[in-house]
Amino acid sequence: MGIEEIKKVAEILLQYVPATLKLFGATLLFSIPLGMIVALLRKCKIKPIEWLVSFYILIMRGTPLMLQVIAIYYAIPFVQTSDSLEKMPGFLQTLIGLVDIRDAGYMFNAVCVAFTLNYAAYFAEIFRGGIEAISKGQYEAAACLGFTKTQTFFRIILPQVIKRIVPASSNEVITLIKDTSLANIIAYEEIILKAKQQMQLYSSLVPLFIAGIFYLISTIVLTTLFSFIEKKLDYYK
Amino acid sequence: MEEMLQVKNLSKSYGNLTVLKDISFHVKKGEVVAIIGPSGSGKSTLLRCINQLEKADGGEVCVCGQTMFSSDESGKAVYSSAQILREIRLKIGLVFQNFNLFPHMSVLRNVTEAPIHVLKQPKTEAIETAEKLLKKMGLLEKKNSYPCELSGGQQQRVSIARALALHPEVLFFDEPTSALDPELTGEILKVIKELAKEKMTMVIVTHEMAFARDVANYVVFMDGGFIVEAGTPEEVFSNAKSERTKQFLERYHNG
Amino acid sequence: MRKKLWKTAAVIMAASAMLLTACGGAGENASSQNAESQGDTSSDTATNGESGEDLSLQKVKDAGKFVLGLDATFKPMGYTDENNEIVGFDIDLAEAVCEKLGVELVKEPINWDTKEQDLSVGKIDCIWNGLSVSPSREETFNLSEPYMKNAMVFVVPESSDINSTSDLAGKKVIVQNGSTAQDILTESELAANMEITSIATNIEALQQMDINLVDAVFMDEVVAQYEIKNSDKAYRILDEGLAEEEYAIAFRKEDQALRDEVQKILSELKADGTVEEISTKWFGSDITTIE
Repeated sequence: MGIEEIKKVAEILLQYVPATLKLFGATLLFSIPLGMIVALLRKCKIKPIEWLVSFYILIMRGTPLMLQVIAIYYAIPFVQTSDSLEKMPGFLQTLIGLVDIRDAGYMFNAVCVAFTLNYAAYFAEIFRGGIEAISKGQYEAAACLGFTKTQTFFRIILPQVIKRIVPASSNEVITLIKDTSLANIIAYEEIILKAKQQMQLYSSLVPLFIAGIFYLISTIVLTTLFSFIEKKLDYYK
Repeated sequence: MEEMLQVKNLSKSYGNLTVLKDISFHVKKGEVVAIIGPSGSGKSTLLRCINQLEKADGGEVCVCGQTMFSSDESGKAVYSSAQILREIRLKIGLVFQNFNLFPHMSVLRNVTEAPIHVLKQPKTEAIETAEKLLKKMGLLEKKNSYPCELSGGQQQRVSIARALALHPEVLFFDEPTSALDPELTGEILKVIKELAKEKMTMVIVTHEMAFARDVANYVVFMDGGFIVEAGTPEEVFSNAKSERTKQFLERYHNG
Repeated sequence: MRKKLWKTAAVIMAASAMLLTACGGAGENASSQNAESQGDTSSDTATNGESGEDLSLQKVKDAGKFVLGLDATFKPMGYTDENNEIVGFDIDLAEAVCEKLGVELVKEPINWDTKEQDLSVGKIDCIWNGLSVSPSREETFNLSEPYMKNAMVFVVPESSDINSTSDLAGKKVIVQNGSTAQDILTESELAANMEITSIATNIEALQQMDINLVDAVFMDEVVAQYEIKNSDKAYRILDEGLAEEEYAIAFRKEDQALRDEVQKILSELKADGTVEEISTKWFGSDITTIE
C-alpha cells in the first residue's frame, strides 16, 4: 500500500475511534458500580443470593465474551419471533415488542449490556479481594466512633479498597480497550471491523496494523493515567 | 457519686463455650477501673460486649442511666432501640490494642472525622478541639503525618485523641500497651495517668500490674469467664482472698 | 449494616438503569416511530399474519425500506470502497430492484458467521452478497433463482497459445495466497502437471503474468471478469474452469411473496436492459444468468 492509500485508510479508521471509545467508556461507567454491587451481594448472608451471584460470575468468566455478545444481542429478537412471546404477560410483550433490532441504538445497547455484565463479574472479583483485605478492626473502630454503615463504607472502607484494587483494575481496563473489538462479531461498526473491510479491499494487512497503532496509543494513555493514579494514592501504606 | 456504668449478671457464650458468666460490676464517675486476668479469661470479650462489638446473651448493661440491654423473663438479653444504642455508643469511647487508625487519613483527619460527620460539628471547631488534644498528646507537629509514618506509641496516642474528640463519658482501653515495644509503653501509661488526674472515667483491660495498682481505684480480676475477685488495688494485690488470684499475681511477680 | 449497604446499592443500580435508558433514548424514540409506521405488525417481526397470509412484501413496502445484509468484504459483489462506501455489483442491482419496488435500500453490514440469525430474527430482509448456492443453504433459506455463475478459471494473455486446460501441462500458474482458488487448484488432478506459485493479491498475480513470469492466473471467475474489465490489458478466460458454483439471494423461508416479487423485478430488469448495463459496468459484459 502507498502512503496516499494508508492515509485514506487511517482517515476512515479514525472515524470509528469514537464508536470504540463509546463502548469502552459506557462499559466502564456501568460495570464498575455494578461490580461493586455484585461484590457486596457475593458476601451476602442469604445463601440463594450468594449462589446466584457465584453462578453469574462463573458464567461470565467461564464463557467467551464473544458468545455472550451474541447471546444477548439475539435474545430479544429471538423471543420476538418465537411462539413463547404470546405466553408472556401483556406488559412484557409490549416491552419486548418496543425493541427494534434494526435500530442502531439497539445494537449498541445490547453490546453495552453484554460487556457490562462480563466486566462487572471481573471487577466484582477484584473488589471482593480488595474488601476482604480490609481488617475487621477498621469496621470496629468506625462503629465505636459512631459512623453509620453507609459512612463507614464510603469514608473508611472504600478509599482503602480503591488503593488496593488500582493495579488489578488497570489490567482489566487495558484489556477492555482491546476487547471492544469483539463487538464486531455482530458487526458493531468499530475500528477493527472497518480495518477488516479495508484489508479485503486492498488485500493487505496494513489496515489492521493501523488499527493496532490506535490500541497502542490508547494503552499508553491508560498506562500513564494509572501510574499517575497509583502515585497519587501512594501517600500512605 | 453518679453511676456511669452498671453491669449486672452479664453472660455470653459461643455455642457451648461459655466465655462470660454472671459478670457484675459498676463504675462511678471519675473512677478508674482496671480489669486484669490471664489470657482467655474473657476480659476483652467483656469490653467488646459493653462497646456493642459483640452481642451479650443475657444480663443487663446501663450506661449513664440508659439501658443498653436487659434480660427478659427467660433470661435472654433484649437490646434497646437503635436510637438509644446509638446515644449510648457516643457516650463511650474505645481505644484498641492495635490502634485501628484509618491509614488513608492524616493524623488530624483521624481525630476530626467523627466529630465532623457523626456529631456534625463545624469543621473549624472540630479542628480546634483536635489540635488541642494532639497538643496534649505531644503530637501537634505530627498532625499532617499519616499513621504509617508514626511509631506505635505515637499511633496509640493519636487513637486516644481520636476517642477523646467525641467527649465520651467513659473511656475504655483494650490492652492499650500490648502491641507496643516495652520502651514505648511508658508514654501511653503517662497519658492515661494524666487523664485519671483530670477525673476521666476509665475502664482499662491491662497486663501492666504495677500500672493497674498505681492508677486504678478499683481492680477486677477475671478468670475463666468469671469475676474471681474485685476490690481496691490494696485488697486485690496485697490481700487477695482467692487462691486463684494469689497464684496469678505470684506468677506475674516472678515473671 | 447490610441493609444500609443494600440501600446504597439499589440507588446505584437505579441510577445506572436511568443512565442506560438515557443513552438508549435516541434509539427508543426511533423504535417507537418505527413501531407506529409498521402499524399493528410492530411487535411481530414474523412476517406471517395470524391467518397464515404472507405479509412479507407488504411489510417491506409499509416500512419503505428493504434491508440488505452483507459482510461488505466481497469485491466486486458488495464491499467497502476507499471512501468507506458500500458498493458493488450486488448493490447496484439491489438499488435497481428497490427503485422498482418503490422503497429505500438499506445496506446493513453483518458478520458473515451469524448471517442466518440476522435473517431469521428479522434484522435484515435478505442476504445478497455473492452467496453461493449449496444444498444446506437451500434447506435453510428461501433462495432466489441463481443470478450469476461463478467458477474458478484460468486467465491467460489474449495472445497466449494456451486454449484449454490440457495446454497448461508444464506451465507456470499463479494463485492468490490463502484463497479458495489455491486450495482447489492444488487438490485438482491438473496440479501434478504444472508449476504452481502464489502471491498476496490477484492484481499482483496478473502483473506477474504481464511480465511473463507466469503463464496463467487461477482465480474466481467473477473477480477475474472484474479485474479484466478494470485493467487495460488484453486477457482471455479459458472456457474450462473448476468447481462451478452459483450465486443467489437468500430470503427467510416464509417470505415467499417478497422473494417472488424480487425475482419478478429481476426478470423485468433483465428485459429492459438494466441488468446488462450494471453487469457491463462491473464486468465488461452481461455475465448474469437471470432469465
